[in-house]
Amino acid sequence: MSIIPGVEPWAVLSFAAIIFFIGLAGLVIRRNLLVVLMCIELMLNAVNLTFVSFSQIHQNLEGQMAVFFIIVVAAAESAVGLGLIIALFRTLRTLDTENLQLLKE
Amino acid sequence: MESLNLIKPELLTLTSEQMTALMPYFWMMAGACLAIIGSVLQSMQPKWVVFVLSIASAFLAMVSTWNTLGHPPILLFNGMMVVDSYTRFGNLLFIASGVLTSLGAFRYLDREKIHLPEFHILVLFAVMGMMLMISSLDLIVLFIAFEIMSLCVYLLVGFRRSDRKGNEASVKYFILGGAASAVMLYGAALLYGATGSLNLSEILQYAVVGNDLSIIFVMGAWLMVVGFLFKVATVPFHMWMPDVYEGAPTPVTGFMTTGLKAAAFATFIRVILSLGYGRGMIESLQAQMHDLIWVIAVVTMLLGNIIALTQKNLKRMLAYSSIAHTGYLMVGLAAGGMGAPDYSSVLVYLVSYAIMNMGAFLTLTLMSGPNDEGLMLNDLSGMSQRRPWISFAMAVFVFSLAGVPPTAGFIGKYLLFYQAVQSGETLLVVIAVLCSAISVYYYLRVLVYMYMKDPQEAVGDQRVSLWSKVAIAFMVVLTLEIGLIPSGWIEAAKAAISHL
Repeated sequence: MSIIPGVEPWAVLSFAAIIFFIGLAGLVIRRNLLVVLMCIELMLNAVNLTFVSFSQIHQNLEGQMAVFFIIVVAAAESAVGLGLIIALFRTLRTLDTENLQLLKE
Repeated sequence: MESLNLIKPELLTLTSEQMTALMPYFWMMAGACLAIIGSVLQSMQPKWVVFVLSIASAFLAMVSTWNTLGHPPILLFNGMMVVDSYTRFGNLLFIASGVLTSLGAFRYLDREKIHLPEFHILVLFAVMGMMLMISSLDLIVLFIAFEIMSLCVYLLVGFRRSDRKGNEASVKYFILGGAASAVMLYGAALLYGATGSLNLSEILQYAVVGNDLSIIFVMGAWLMVVGFLFKVATVPFHMWMPDVYEGAPTPVTGFMTTGLKAAAFATFIRVILSLGYGRGMIESLQAQMHDLIWVIAVVTMLLGNIIALTQKNLKRMLAYSSIAHTGYLMVGLAAGGMGAPDYSSVLVYLVSYAIMNMGAFLTLTLMSGPNDEGLMLNDLSGMSQRRPWISFAMAVFVFSLAGVPPTAGFIGKYLLFYQAVQSGETLLVVIAVLCSAISVYYYLRVLVYMYMKDPQEAVGDQRVSLWSKVAIAFMVVLTLEIGLIPSGWIEAAKAAISHL
């Protein structure tokens, strides 16, 4: 069962998987906290794509319902994350993860 | 799209049994919402209004859970949630840990001049998230509950807004925690793709019946497991934990080691069982998963205990000891995959660990100076002469953490290791016992400093609030009670897993 006419399901799923791993790689590599936050959002959106395509494959609505909840949770998460990052910026005056060195062995 | 037809009118109403089962959730929710309103009252101090409301609602929730302890399991919301004895057992633990956090934090927040009413509200919502998480039978409910809990705890960790350590800890925790939830959610999506359902019992049916598990299912199962391993902080996903524990306000660290860890672990058991682990999962995956948990248990115990030996900061030391205790719990999980799964010993261990660690952190809160200074080992020198009662309480908790009879820690470890030997995990238990012998060194070093060194100058506020006294005395009594008469607790744990 193809999701978009002419597009195989595995193509869409692989696309979502690639986006997910781009997000994961960005989380590990990038140093700016805002970009890291964006990478988390990217991962969540890749999951959304996966849910929608599986929902289409199985012809049931559970996956699409899940997407709505994930969007809400992602919004709450970025609100909390931005709040924490602002609090950090006030004391640290930078957003570079290299400077998060206060707590270590 | 036949699923639209599944919505029946009777699923949109609640029967009286279902209402009774939901009462604890209503009380917590009502308490939290009323507390938000109470926190903006101008006529009296908001901290008192919120504090009293949160304690009262938690008390009511606890009573209504206690009254329904023996009831049969009740499915809610079209099988998305279940309130069974496992849930009720967990709920009591989570509510208790929330109440004790609020009690222990009251004077602490005054002292740190950050007594905002939000603290108690966030604790209430985090407990609410834990309660929903342990009762969820649906991956989406599980994820939402997980996030309710995590988001509240991220904020609690960063509660000292002008403190660099607190900010750094909260941001680190937020980023790694967010990544872990995303990984777990991707696992949930793949499980949905393989089975066509988000319901845990339908996933279990698929996992047990289907002899040819698709690669998507296997990948999804692994990603779920990795997400949970991160949350309970096993090696190699433990890096965040010492930093977060050190940077968080001390009562919050106590909350994280008890409520959060117990919730994550209890839900982990429910999820891994519904993936078919120890319940007829296909041989190859079962063996792989068991071996992985086995290896992780060993590495976690060794690394946690050995690094804890070198720590000078008590909070950091307890963080590594917490990693080590996660390792012991993983022993129980590995044993559960062999033969008949019996997780009652894991539950008893979770309860005794929660009690003794909560006590230890409440005591540390009292010992710490302004800005959480004064928690180095040297600062404890001669504590027994300055503050005999607090030192005595700390001694009880430390003995219990080390697993010395007659304390809760001993009973917990004894049951856990006994059950593991019964399941044929002798080598694992030998390693666990050796690790536990290593741990005695750093636990008893605390006692040596407190009782055998010359006294030092006092640090910080020496007053102790009534709330903290009550909470710590309660923890001491419980630690000794479980150690001396454990049978009631074991029975309760056995009853709790009977419906799992």
